[in-house]
Amino acid sequence: MPYCSRFIKYMAVCIQAYMFNKFLFLISLLILVISGSLLAQSNAPDPILKQKSVKLNLGSQGIGSEFTYGVATKVALRLGLNVIPVSVNNAFDFADFNSTSKASAKFTNIHLLADYTPFTATPAFRLVAGVAYFARASGNMQVQPKDNYSYGDIVLTPEQVGYLDLDINWKGIAPYAGIGLFRVIPAHRFNVNVDLGTYYLKQPDVKIIGTGLLKGNDKQEGQLHENVKDYRWLPVVQLNFSYKL
Amino acid sequence: MKISIKYSWIIILLLSVFACKKPTENIKLIVDTDILKYTAFIRVTDAATGNVPANAQITISGNAANNVYELSGKKNFNLVQGVVTIGLGPALTPTLANPVNCTVTITANGYVTTTKTITFTTDKSQQVINIQIAKTGSTTPPIIIPEPIVYPTPVALTFIGTCTNRRDFEIRPSVYILFRETGSGLPYQYLGYMDKGEITTTALGQGKTYDFQTTFNGEDHAVTQKIVNASYSLTLNMGNACNNF
Repeated sequence: MPYCSRFIKYMAVCIQAYMFNKFLFLISLLILVISGSLLAQSNAPDPILKQKSVKLNLGSQGIGSEFTYGVATKVALRLGLNVIPVSVNNAFDFADFNSTSKASAKFTNIHLLADYTPFTATPAFRLVAGVAYFARASGNMQVQPKDNYSYGDIVLTPEQVGYLDLDINWKGIAPYAGIGLFRVIPAHRFNVNVDLGTYYLKQPDVKIIGTGLLKGNDKQEGQLHENVKDYRWLPVVQLNFSYKL
Repeated sequence: MKISIKYSWIIILLLSVFACKKPTENIKLIVDTDILKYTAFIRVTDAATGNVPANAQITISGNAANNVYELSGKKNFNLVQGVVTIGLGPALTPTLANPVNCTVTITANGYVTTTKTITFTTDKSQQVINIQIAKTGSTTPPIIIPEPIVYPTPVALTFIGTCTNRRDFEIRPSVYILFRETGSGLPYQYLGYMDKGEITTTALGQGKTYDFQTTFNGEDHAVTQKIVNASYSLTLNMGNACNNF
């Protein structure tokens, strides 16, 4: 039954490979955007006090929206919601075993961020800090055989073999720190700004559920927790499309 | 919402930026072997001496024979050191009203052919069947095999089945265990049934060293341990049994 262990290894390789490529792409995109827009916005020292905007954001946190309000000449507060509901069925093939697999990541957070514009002459640069409550923050991998499986001369159904379910959960409160590029509230009606930062998530809870012949895998929860306990930094690379109210 | 696998684990990707350990480091696939839920451990000895008769063979007959398998799930029934474990396949389960019977026939050169009916019932998942066969023409009464000594301190043993070529794979064997004191030269005695790799017994004396043996798929698997503590975790190389998974 080598398919499960291959699956686990496959996931690890995927994680590492995409990690680098994804960031490279996003950073390149940001450099292009920044180079075209930074100068255009840096010369207008409009105060943000009592100004309001709404944002639609898109990035590593998924999709979301925010309401922004200027509480001081250099400080604005943002209240928002982000959601990532992603799942993939049958994304994996195993050479010697027919299996169905499912991988999913579900993150939903409500956040309150403070944007501080330290330099009046450069309102396009901001320091951002705040906190989020992750109502959902989980990753899941599940795999089970698709067809019958032979044990010696006995043919077992997929239900008799069982399935393996690995869950990692970061649900809870997480602080955020980062920088913002471009105005937090548009000087005119509309702008696009950028967030670069990171959440620091709580230590994850892990759960391994095995059924049938795979029931014994739950005793590896301690090892899985040990492996992922430092997976707490959740970088944010995000584009915000702002509309001034 | 279903999108590409590239995005399904982006959160894990991002989280892994600052984490060194692979999520799957030292995680193994653990598989149980308790596919046969109703088993019988058959032990064949020379009635006069208690020794293992040479060249003894076993055949299974009766209405249920088609659903009787060796513990490895195969239809090959070979006595190894005079023992073999048989059981009912998942397709046949005894009920209160309908227990399942099969007939075991033991043949060996120079011995009287002996048959025994084995009954599988709902209240007896495991059973030990001792079959003593007498030499042709022998009038010696069968010897009484002494019960193992009972010690006051129970010892818990956890057996982990490993595979030489598959380090990411572990087996929790559900098998019958034999034992004898190392170097005693005595025949192996029945220790008990190990359920999913675990057995607790009062048959082991502190300070003594024992050989433990089980038979699976026509092979002996053995390990030696000196008993000085209340519990041990022992590794059992599963040999060709690994090919069964």
